[in-house]
Amino acid sequence: MAVVAASRWLRFRCKVCLTLTGQRAGPCGQPPNCRFYSGSATVPKVEGANVTGIEEVVIPKKKTWDKVAVLQALASTVNRDTTAAPYAFQDDPYLIPTSSLESRSFLLAKKSGENAAKYIINSHPKYFQKDIAEPHIPCLMPEYFEPQIEDISEAALRERIKLKKVKASVDMFDQLLQAGTTVSLETSNSLLDLLCYYGDKEPSTDYHFQQSEKSEELAAEENNKKSKKANHQFGDLWRPKNNAERIFALMPEKNSHSYCTMIRGMVKHRALVQALNLYTELLNNRLHADVYTFNALIEATALSAHEKPEDKWNNILELLKQMTAQKVKPNLQTFNTILKCLRRFHAFGKVPALQTFREMKAIGIEPSPATYHYLIQLFYHHENRSKGSSLIIYDIMNELTGRKFSPRDPDDDMFFQSAMRVCSFLRDLELAYQVHGLLNTGDNWKFIGPDHRRNFYYSKFFSLLCLMEQIDVTLKWYKDLIPSVFFPRSQTLIDLLQALDVANRLEVIPQIWKDSKEYGHTFRNDLKEEILMLMARDQHPPELQVAFADCAADIKSTYESQDGRQTAPEWPANSLNYIAVLFLRAGRTQEAWKMLGLFKKHNKIPGNKLLNEFMDIAKASSSPAQAIEIVKLAGAFSLPICEDLAQRVMADFAISQEQKEALGNLTSLTSDSDSDSDTSEGK
Amino acid sequence: MAAAALSAWLTLQPGTRTLRAFCTSVSPATRSAIPSPPDRRPRYERPLRRKALPPRTEKMTLDQDWPSVYPVAAPFKPSAVPLPIRMGYPIKRGVPMAKEGNLELLKIPNFLHLTPVAIKKHCEALKDFCTEWPAALDSDEKCEKHFPIEVDTTDYVSAGPSIRNPKARVVTLRVKLSSLNLDDHAKKKLIKLVGERYCKTTDVLTIKTDRCPLKRQNYDYALYLLTVLYHESWKTEEWEKDKTEADMEEYVWNNSSSEKNILETLLQMKAAEKNLEVNKEELLATKEVEEYKKSVVSLKNEGDNENTLSQYKESVKKLLNLM
Repeated sequence: MAVVAASRWLRFRCKVCLTLTGQRAGPCGQPPNCRFYSGSATVPKVEGANVTGIEEVVIPKKKTWDKVAVLQALASTVNRDTTAAPYAFQDDPYLIPTSSLESRSFLLAKKSGENAAKYIINSHPKYFQKDIAEPHIPCLMPEYFEPQIEDISEAALRERIKLKKVKASVDMFDQLLQAGTTVSLETSNSLLDLLCYYGDKEPSTDYHFQQSEKSEELAAEENNKKSKKANHQFGDLWRPKNNAERIFALMPEKNSHSYCTMIRGMVKHRALVQALNLYTELLNNRLHADVYTFNALIEATALSAHEKPEDKWNNILELLKQMTAQKVKPNLQTFNTILKCLRRFHAFGKVPALQTFREMKAIGIEPSPATYHYLIQLFYHHENRSKGSSLIIYDIMNELTGRKFSPRDPDDDMFFQSAMRVCSFLRDLELAYQVHGLLNTGDNWKFIGPDHRRNFYYSKFFSLLCLMEQIDVTLKWYKDLIPSVFFPRSQTLIDLLQALDVANRLEVIPQIWKDSKEYGHTFRNDLKEEILMLMARDQHPPELQVAFADCAADIKSTYESQDGRQTAPEWPANSLNYIAVLFLRAGRTQEAWKMLGLFKKHNKIPGNKLLNEFMDIAKASSSPAQAIEIVKLAGAFSLPICEDLAQRVMADFAISQEQKEALGNLTSLTSDSDSDSDTSEGK
Repeated sequence: MAAAALSAWLTLQPGTRTLRAFCTSVSPATRSAIPSPPDRRPRYERPLRRKALPPRTEKMTLDQDWPSVYPVAAPFKPSAVPLPIRMGYPIKRGVPMAKEGNLELLKIPNFLHLTPVAIKKHCEALKDFCTEWPAALDSDEKCEKHFPIEVDTTDYVSAGPSIRNPKARVVTLRVKLSSLNLDDHAKKKLIKLVGERYCKTTDVLTIKTDRCPLKRQNYDYALYLLTVLYHESWKTEEWEKDKTEADMEEYVWNNSSSEKNILETLLQMKAAEKNLEVNKEELLATKEVEEYKKSVVSLKNEGDNENTLSQYKESVKKLLNLM
């Protein structure tokens, strides 16, 4: 790997200097010694130096490399530390986040601090003028957001456009028109660009911190938001007769750039019909659109409602034909937009999608991960296994193995998530390993996307591992991934526990419980019940039983502390059963008896197996008093097993006469109540 | 993505409270973790205080890759170093303090990132940047012969906003005078010119320059100095003829006062013996006088020690026929 990497970094110097230098690699820390070849006049050649016996000293040419090559070489010797949290966090036991919510809030806090610092620097730039950084670091210096040119001129307009001040530039434009000066076509076009990009609203000011303008804009935005809440998910909408349209109408001459930018702005802000109309106007004026405009128009036709998929597809084909007629070459975004639109057509879109893909390859545009993501979404949309799934994922992975991606489309980071979803759907572990290998090739790890996507990917991957892989390998992955790469959900841990169950490795369960307490699963009832159930199901060798009992005691304490926190404590009946059983099996009978008391307190009924086990223990310790306690308890709960228990007591234990009578009373009470109920039913 | 969420928080607050939005923007997300003031809710409802995780040394396996845990120079992290180190002054029959929260361990520089395994890996990775050593230079003498001049420079790296360090401009040039082509007069003149920069025992001339602001300029200046010294030492100026005995670096017998003295003494001796037809050169060429000359030269040049003094004594005795 180092060799491959080295060939990337090193360039051999072609020219030969007069004073060649040879560097000797000394031990670390010493200053390098330069020795000079005796070519300079300081040391003339000694007479007789060319006598045979003195060999030719050949100095090899010096290698050159770029600034970070040495650091990259050293970085290649280091791998990821599997016990460490991501480097952005402070490496301290108290400050490492313990859940994905916490990690998100820590990162937000860090970013908030940076923003606060930037705000202070930008609002008081005169205190931050001293620059000691060498070489100069521009991003640490204060930025100026106020326009400097104050008079009414085109230069002032251009400056405001550059500083992205929408309202100020529109005002300046109006003032210029009122003063009678004509604004040049280029400046008008750049003003239109600004307006169409931001949809006639001020750009978000989290970095610019302009308070006065912001308050007005915020009031306007809030009104907008209230009225258009339903459409909020599509971003801001294009208001009809807004500044962009007005200025467009006012412009004396328009070239294709003006039309194109208007169309793109309209499509971005979902004014689809107007965009298409403007396009026809552009054609009427015999102008040509560029490839970005065509991409926008394709999106517009696909998004227009109330049309059948076949019609939409025909419209798109029409547009493509016009594109070739105007001799505009399609680019990657064209094909990705087509595929994105086809994705919505579901079953109809499969054949056109493959046609589009082949066309893309034929033209020579290399598909990006977003392309494959759309294809996967199209072909694996319905998670319905009975219908028979397409095998296109295998073709895709075969094509992509070993490929290194570069970011070319905003949706590139969705590929890995959808690929892993398909792997998990198909229950194919080999394919999952292939996808994971692709993720670890080169720089592809950057395409995993934001937190929630990464968590989804790894959750699905790990669940698949638990399902299909041998337990040793799964445990190795567990140590590798959790919690340094992602925080598992309780469902993932339950999958892992079931895998352990299948492989008969229940001794790992206390360790899993300890780990899961660390990342925030202390109060997840389903997880705790699963753990307890697995531990309590069968008998185990004594050491393991002791470990299980300790674990059960720990879980019990979490239930108790949960009691203290909430007003309505809930102890599931199963948990109580399991905990009591585990205590009994490990020989902690005192605590087990206390558990029986808890049953009464929380109004939960002990199970039959539990009572039988208690009876066994009582027999083992030969204490009839305990046995009678158990029968009394069963009687108190009016359990049908009470009779069996009573008979067992009388049979196995040596009890006195009064006890027999008391027992008889108990059973008769229960049988009486039974017979009473029978008679009452009979009536 | 974090910035987008932050902007969402900001747009929800009116403009006058923008500054406070930074501080409270994370509050909805972490409401569960922030302990509420105790006087508002009853005691049993106060949320649990955040507990520290167990240190991650417990999860480390014995055969883990240590250079991955400490890849760069980092402060000592007690939760990441699985060694039971103690440091500190034990007070009152106690033991040194443990590593948790130990400031002494933080103050000292640690080389946990440069274990022998790590150094080996680094060297392997850096081999690609190196060229081969020339095969002809396989001994120190050959290196000296082909490359007599040695130039020392130092680069400084520190953590800070600036990469410049004024100490980095110093250039030291060392050369052995035996490798320069100098005759006797040139060598003596050169040594006089450079003064303290020449070390007699090792025969090394050291030129250290730091008067220019850049390393390159200092290096050029050092080479220029060497060139100038060499050429100047070969020239002979007019006024060098006026070199007196006080300027001489070492004692020279010919035309010295000692020679004159011994000549006079010998002549007096010979005169006392009534031996007047003695030639000066003959006198000087005799073996005793040669010995005397050697002993005086060594005494003057090397200074007083047992050897030279005893030599002088012997030679004088012989010369004056005292034995």
